[in-house]
Amino acid sequence: MKLRIMKPRIMKLHSMKKISTLTLHNLNKAKGQYISFGVFICLTAFIINIALVLAFQTFNAYERLFDQLSTADINFIIPQVQDHEDLLTEVEGIDGVSFVEKHDGVFTPVTVREFADSDFDMNTVFYNLDEERTLNLFDVTASSEKSDSSVYIPMYMKELGGFAEGGSIIYSIDGKEHTYDVGGILLEMQYGNYGTGMIGGYFPEAVYEDFAQEYSDHVITEYSLKISGTADLGEMKNTITEVLREKGIALLNINDRDTSKQTRTMVCTLLIVIFLALAAIILVVSIFLSNFRIRSAIEDELAQMGVLKAIGYTSQLIIASTVMPYMLVGIISTVIGIALSYSVLPSVAGILAIQSGFSYTPEFDILALLIVLLTLTCAILLFSYISAGKIHKLEPINAIRGITGKESTGQNILLFIVSFGIMVLLSFAGTLLYNVNVKPDNFMNTLSEELPSVIFTAEDGKMSELKELLEDDSRVRLFMEYASVPVSYEDGSLTAFVCEDFSKATNDICFEGHSPVNGNEIAVGNAISEKYPIGSKIELTVHDQSADYIVTGYIQSVNNAGAVCQLTSEGYEKIGETTNSLNVYLYDKNAGELINEYEENHDAIIKSSVNFEQMSENGQMMYTGIVSVIVVILFIISVLMVLLVIYVLINSMISRRRQEFGIYKAIGYTNRQLTVKTALSFIPVVAVASIISAIAGLWYLPAINNVIFSLIGAIKNHFEVSVWILIVFAGMFTAVAFLISILLSAPIKRITAYSLLKD
Amino acid sequence: MNKQTVISAKHLKKAFGKGESIQVIYSDLNIDIYKGDFTVIMGSSGAGKSTLMYSLSGMDKPDGGEIHFDGTDITKLNNDRLAVFRRKQCGFVFQQIYLIDKMNLMDNVITAGVLTNKDREDIKNRAKELFSLVNIPENTWRKTSSQISGGEAQRAGIVRAVINSPNVLFADEPTGALNSANSGAVLDVFTSLHKEGQSIVMVTHDKKSALRGNRIIYIKDGKIYGECDLGQFEQDNMERTEKLNKFIEEMGW
Repeated sequence: MKLRIMKPRIMKLHSMKKISTLTLHNLNKAKGQYISFGVFICLTAFIINIALVLAFQTFNAYERLFDQLSTADINFIIPQVQDHEDLLTEVEGIDGVSFVEKHDGVFTPVTVREFADSDFDMNTVFYNLDEERTLNLFDVTASSEKSDSSVYIPMYMKELGGFAEGGSIIYSIDGKEHTYDVGGILLEMQYGNYGTGMIGGYFPEAVYEDFAQEYSDHVITEYSLKISGTADLGEMKNTITEVLREKGIALLNINDRDTSKQTRTMVCTLLIVIFLALAAIILVVSIFLSNFRIRSAIEDELAQMGVLKAIGYTSQLIIASTVMPYMLVGIISTVIGIALSYSVLPSVAGILAIQSGFSYTPEFDILALLIVLLTLTCAILLFSYISAGKIHKLEPINAIRGITGKESTGQNILLFIVSFGIMVLLSFAGTLLYNVNVKPDNFMNTLSEELPSVIFTAEDGKMSELKELLEDDSRVRLFMEYASVPVSYEDGSLTAFVCEDFSKATNDICFEGHSPVNGNEIAVGNAISEKYPIGSKIELTVHDQSADYIVTGYIQSVNNAGAVCQLTSEGYEKIGETTNSLNVYLYDKNAGELINEYEENHDAIIKSSVNFEQMSENGQMMYTGIVSVIVVILFIISVLMVLLVIYVLINSMISRRRQEFGIYKAIGYTNRQLTVKTALSFIPVVAVASIISAIAGLWYLPAINNVIFSLIGAIKNHFEVSVWILIVFAGMFTAVAFLISILLSAPIKRITAYSLLKD
Repeated sequence: MNKQTVISAKHLKKAFGKGESIQVIYSDLNIDIYKGDFTVIMGSSGAGKSTLMYSLSGMDKPDGGEIHFDGTDITKLNNDRLAVFRRKQCGFVFQQIYLIDKMNLMDNVITAGVLTNKDREDIKNRAKELFSLVNIPENTWRKTSSQISGGEAQRAGIVRAVINSPNVLFADEPTGALNSANSGAVLDVFTSLHKEGQSIVMVTHDKKSALRGNRIIYIKDGKIYGECDLGQFEQDNMERTEKLNKFIEEMGW
């Protein structure tokens, strides 16, 4: 038994010994080629490892923090006046609920002044910082001295809003401004990101008491529930909603751990998808490159392969000596790539914290390392083995005589595929850049509902007057009644976008069917679209008023995890009070000026105003920053790939056609002519591939964008794909390829005609 | 005198091409190679000298017939088993030398040596002996083929061919790419090896090279057209030279 186990090992070791000299020789003679291959693999490993570490650790970090801070699985908020002991007993008795804790709070819409230099309307829940709690704990990550006017804010407000401990923050509630010192920054996993439609604020006890007294109408009770491992979040939410409905208790908000997690890790998910796609493209290019290199090597060294066979090397040994350098370089480069990725991972995690509102330090991840190493090693082994498989078919005597039996390497095919692939990257990067930086409305419309310039809230009974004023204002392009309000349905709560006439809306978020036209119609968000087919009915409730609506279409929203709907003003008024909110769209970017003027001159009409133009710009700034980083990475990688691919091709060309170059030089061609001739020889293929890729981009780019954005809930993206931009990119790419070819052809100059011919 | 047969080929057939363009090289060729002989295969261009030699050495497969090499019918072996067979039984010297580019002479020899010997030091020591035998100085061992003369490269090629002490050393026009001085040096190496008992099969169209052999076989029309026993090589032995001249003249050279 022992012998049987040992024998193959000994044989293997001996085989390794047999090919070690050849392997080292192969490595040595084409260092440049292996270095270029290594750079590609290093880059691939670098990117995949970032994506995997983010994938493994961001979601885990979320879960870890979630557990560390004993965050509730479900939180729901009801008016405190409607709360009573029976409810607690009943909730505790729901099957699957393992623990319930109640917190007091004040739930109110506020306008946060100077949030990233603008006003930001947010539904905010203010809590008592000093209240004893076992659920929904928080971690104070930075603090200054507690004062009589302190508020502690979530990290999101710091990262995105620009508030810092020691500074101040102004909350405007119903037109009244409250200024607080920022006492500290909190890491919390409940309402720490406005993507959930709710943000938290924490006052020291004394401040809280005063605040709660002032806004006693808004005091709420929050029920925080821990559920047992097997219970289903969705079902649990349904049950809670049902219990509240039966008791006639208004459900102001309900959220769960999955929705929060999805919202807070949205950008991370996007980044992971983009990085993995990028890595896949680079890996494909490197595999094509190594395939080309191996096939060229076999053709260039045909006689030597024949001699090796003649002196007794089996095909397997020759293949192993050909594949081994790629494996060695691949493994070393992968390890280097993985190591390098850890130098940028903290920065990447930092960028993600802006959106997610929680931070963590990425750590070394053995699983990511193993996956990257195994994937790349297997891919390199498999494809280099397939490429080298041609060696099997070589008859030694034919090989020595230079007969391969088959035609060759397909340099043009390689160049075409690589150019096409790089153009896909460039087109994607260019389209992203165009739609985020040049035409940001396309991007913001994909992520948002409506993008007005200003949102005015009229004083009660003053809506008509406000409309008349706006009607006569030449700066105003359009205005319409539009509001976001919470409503309940049988499985929980939805954010309803209420509009007087959706045909006036500037952003069509309906991806199937149509927006509601009549009072009995509704369009529902992607989160519930499966449950409510078009034509079916859904019952909505606000407080104790309910009504049925017919589903006419589906809308998308990246916020609130797609738990949204559209209602006409007429439809909403069946269950809720008239909204006094108006979206105002201006011709020019002068929202600030308009707001100042209206607030000054029409104080009795305007209750509050929001500079949405500024808010959009702030939101844009966050995404523009992230997108710019991605685009710069894509551009660098594209140029690097062109550089390396052309290097490999030119190297191979110079080595194969030395004699031909020698003859050209001998008959009087200048170095310049030969360099240009070499560079130009690549251009037709590069140009054709990039133009075809650019034109094909009209089809594949929307498909890529659809896949990526649908992952975060934006089923219908508003990205424009401009064929002219793609053609310009194709031209630039071809020009860069030509310049790189000229630079890399330089070695031709250093070789004399005699030496070329002598070889 | 009874000679021990090391290779025995019966009814060999070989043709190139297909259909109307078929070119029959040999259709029923029989030949024996004896241990310790320096067999020289001669013939006009296209007669199939090299084709026969490569068939006998298992480098190429005949279309029909049997080749028993040291008791093994090598026509029955697959490519990989042939490779293993060659590493133990055959050494090859080529006209174009074919040392591995950019690999120094010592490593070229080691590359062949490691196929049969696990001990690298043993291989190196044996290579050093052989380099001395073929007059390649130590300061050349670490040079690559492009840094030395054609004669030195071919002698290094011979060292590579015999590093595994092959049963038969095959040489295909070994002086074809060399000048007269280098040719002489290379042929001297063959003679030395033959004197030490090495069986050699050499294809050549060069009379000076052929004179080094003791048995001359002439191929014509796909058959062994004639055979001549020259006896052992002696420098300036005019009798042998005349015998060879007469033989090849008879063969229609």
